[in-house]
Amino acid sequence: MSQEHEHGLPPKSSVSRWFLTTNHKDIGVLYLITALFFLVFGGVLALLFRLELISSGADLLGSMGYNQAVSTHGLLMVFWFISPFAFGFANYIVPLQIGADDLAFPRLNALSYWLYLFSGILMGVSFFQGTTFAGGWTMYAPLNTPAYIPGEGLGATSVVLALIMFTAAVTLGSVNFLTTMYRMRAEGLRMRDIPIFSLSINLTVWMMLFAFAALLAALMILASDHILGTTYFQYSIDGTTMATDADNPGASLLWAHLFWFFGHPEVYIVFFPALGVMAECFQTFTGRRLVGRKWFIISMVLVALQSFVVWMHHMFLTGINLPIKTIFMATTIGISLPFDLMVFSLIYTMAKGRVRFTTPFLFSLGALILFIIGGITGVFLGAIVLDYQFRGTYWVVAHFHYVMVAGATALFGGLYYWYPKITGKMYNETLGKIQFGVYFLGFNLLYFPMFIAWETPRRVFVYPDGLQIWHSMATAGGFILGASFLIMFYNLFMSLWRGEDVGPNPWEYATSAEWAVSSPPPLENFPGVPSYATGKLEFLDDETVTERTERAPGAAAHGHAATDGGTATDGGAVTARAAATATAMEPAHETAGEEHASHASFWPFLVSLGGFIAFLGLSGVRTGSVFYLSLAAVGGVATFGSLVGMTREPFHAPEMAIAERWPFERVEKMKLGMWTFLASDIVLFGAFIGSYAFVRVAYGWTAWHHDLIPAEHVTMPGLINTYLLLTSSFLVVLAMVAAERESKRGTVAALVGTFALGVGFLINKGLEWQHLFHISTEAFPNGWGLSTNIASSTFYLTTGLHGAHVTIGLIICAYMTIRAWNGAYQGDDRAIEYFGLYWHFVDIVWLFLFPLFYIL
Amino acid sequence: MDWKGYTVIYVVLFAFATAQAVVEFAGLVDSAYWAAFALIMVLSVIKAVGVAAYYQHLRWEPRAVTYLVLGGTVAALALTGAAAYSIL
Repeated sequence: MSQEHEHGLPPKSSVSRWFLTTNHKDIGVLYLITALFFLVFGGVLALLFRLELISSGADLLGSMGYNQAVSTHGLLMVFWFISPFAFGFANYIVPLQIGADDLAFPRLNALSYWLYLFSGILMGVSFFQGTTFAGGWTMYAPLNTPAYIPGEGLGATSVVLALIMFTAAVTLGSVNFLTTMYRMRAEGLRMRDIPIFSLSINLTVWMMLFAFAALLAALMILASDHILGTTYFQYSIDGTTMATDADNPGASLLWAHLFWFFGHPEVYIVFFPALGVMAECFQTFTGRRLVGRKWFIISMVLVALQSFVVWMHHMFLTGINLPIKTIFMATTIGISLPFDLMVFSLIYTMAKGRVRFTTPFLFSLGALILFIIGGITGVFLGAIVLDYQFRGTYWVVAHFHYVMVAGATALFGGLYYWYPKITGKMYNETLGKIQFGVYFLGFNLLYFPMFIAWETPRRVFVYPDGLQIWHSMATAGGFILGASFLIMFYNLFMSLWRGEDVGPNPWEYATSAEWAVSSPPPLENFPGVPSYATGKLEFLDDETVTERTERAPGAAAHGHAATDGGTATDGGAVTARAAATATAMEPAHETAGEEHASHASFWPFLVSLGGFIAFLGLSGVRTGSVFYLSLAAVGGVATFGSLVGMTREPFHAPEMAIAERWPFERVEKMKLGMWTFLASDIVLFGAFIGSYAFVRVAYGWTAWHHDLIPAEHVTMPGLINTYLLLTSSFLVVLAMVAAERESKRGTVAALVGTFALGVGFLINKGLEWQHLFHISTEAFPNGWGLSTNIASSTFYLTTGLHGAHVTIGLIICAYMTIRAWNGAYQGDDRAIEYFGLYWHFVDIVWLFLFPLFYIL
Repeated sequence: MDWKGYTVIYVVLFAFATAQAVVEFAGLVDSAYWAAFALIMVLSVIKAVGVAAYYQHLRWEPRAVTYLVLGGTVAALALTGAAAYSIL
């Protein structure tokens, strides 16, 4: 397709397109290919340590090599392969299924992808910094701190920073998907009616929004321990002396709580998209709507909620008390119940329909079988007494691979299912089935013997001689599983050229909206504005859209649609009432063709590249190396410059003129995006404050203040800063009032005042910190610095994170002040309001930090 | 809301912040720690709700936005509360 027809995007054959594109389908393809690369990366590492395990002992990789391979395999597969693979489909398919032309924030979507890619590259680079992280994918404290890492430990620091970068990508993606799904659904498409895959993604991103914020807090604290020298996860008292019970008794438990608060929802974050794929494939290849669809959805919602109250079953062998263990055993057993319902729903759908054993169906069915085995074996681990026996053994390894790789199995089915849609070509069905056979054989030969050899200690390369046969079988299974992917790659690659061309819908009973458009779909997806108002999918022309908008501005919702597996919206019987000449997604006052949505920006790539360089530099700054310091500085400047460039770039991503927006009808997409981000930020700060509360409880709440905090740490600086922030918040709302009244002078004055007060806040904080750093008292002869004790670490890091938020707010405020000076915002205060949402949130956080860190 | 309404909220917030410091200056934190703790945290919650409701306009937004914010808050409180309880 020519550049003219792709609205500024070069053709797909051009390399530059893939650096520029912000289109959801292109980004989806990039995710899929990158995730498959990390599958191979993690898979090769797995084959290496399976070779190591043919016999007991580390005679092939060496002990440190083995530990690195195991840890990196886990991290790559959990973070850089499975979820991004699922989000490749989510990117490509969800907008099509809900009737949107793209995601709500296309450049943020591209930024998510590039941050993900560069985080993976940083992970890879860590191998070349001596050693990479070797403490297991759960990164338990204190093994995750430099004191317990051999050598300089720079590679381990890079891994922590890579995970932070990855988490940033996930958070942006979560905000983007939620905003899209609540603001850009086709008219008449209720949340409960969206296709089951999109629904599974919706619930997944809800879990991601909150769970990854807790992980981000954990990682930021860990990075601070690595780089700044705080002592959250360290037992170090005075440099070389280690004590496990004095200064920070809660250290290792704190990590476990933060990690598993994220880690258990992560299991469902990984599995839900797979469940969505399974449901889609079961419907399509049985020709039957999902039996008990409503209950299936209710079950998913229940699991999403329950996933946040089961995390301590990962901690039954720690020192947490028995009552809490009992509560979490009950919640864990409770979460298996909705899954039972979902499993029965899938089985009954199969029983009621007529099964077509295509490759996607075989993978989906295989995933269901594997998941049932994984689920049942997991219930053992949810019982406290059994967990005492099974914890830390290969039973756990086998169980979670049966769950997690069951998810991956369904996603491979999804790859076959949507391959014709994405490429316009049909894969080779025979090869697909052969791959499934080899895959299923290899999988079970790899993981089932681990149940039998369950007494093998996890993460250890030594095991009893009598278990060698099972480990040899597992190694053989691993290579067979690996070989199956060679068949898949060959099949999918060759089919790009040799595959039969397919029309919009190669599957007889596929009914969701992606099958109603050509394969692959055009750049802006639909030949008009999609609508389900009549109960069937229609594409409206501009004239109809304008008419409806004028008749009922902002309104939608007339009919209700069954969008998958039903009869109301048969993708093969789409009523294309009119094929508009362009997207027709513009506001009603803009006619099609006059202003198109933008699809190209180079800035997301540059921002991520800058971030990569900065993080690589940060990994080594504690060594004082000029090389690393320079990298950090150059990367920081490049990131900042690129962000400014991205802000100044004209980029048009219009809201749909008519759409279903329950329950956020009156919340414009930018505002909803900001609120969603803030909800995640609440969890981030909540986890920081929660960490502070946890270690203080562990130490002794009231003794903390007397033992660990100097008398010079007084209330007044905090009170002054409270006044400064409250006043600055007041000025932001006055700036809004002035902008509404079109008073340029008032707007500028209020913003300048906000900026000045924010700067005053930082100066006051800086003076306070300088004073505390340099006090010299009997109790604190060397000052009260970041590393002095756990109280100083929590104080500086938590208020420092808040200070960083203030700094970011000031940069935005300065930018807005300049724009206001040039006449912006007059009569339209929305931008100031959105900035205000952020600034007031920073204010609210301080309202809690002030009493907790200055008074109590 | 007009500037007068915003000003009233500001004055209240300012007064509550001062009240929190006064609790400490009056020695209540030393003499009755947990009563002071409860009083100060309640004042913080009231201030936070005030800022969110009036400066962030949550009062006038669809309830779903409030639920979104509460979702994050409940998650953070669940983590903090359950984790702290686990070691009591």
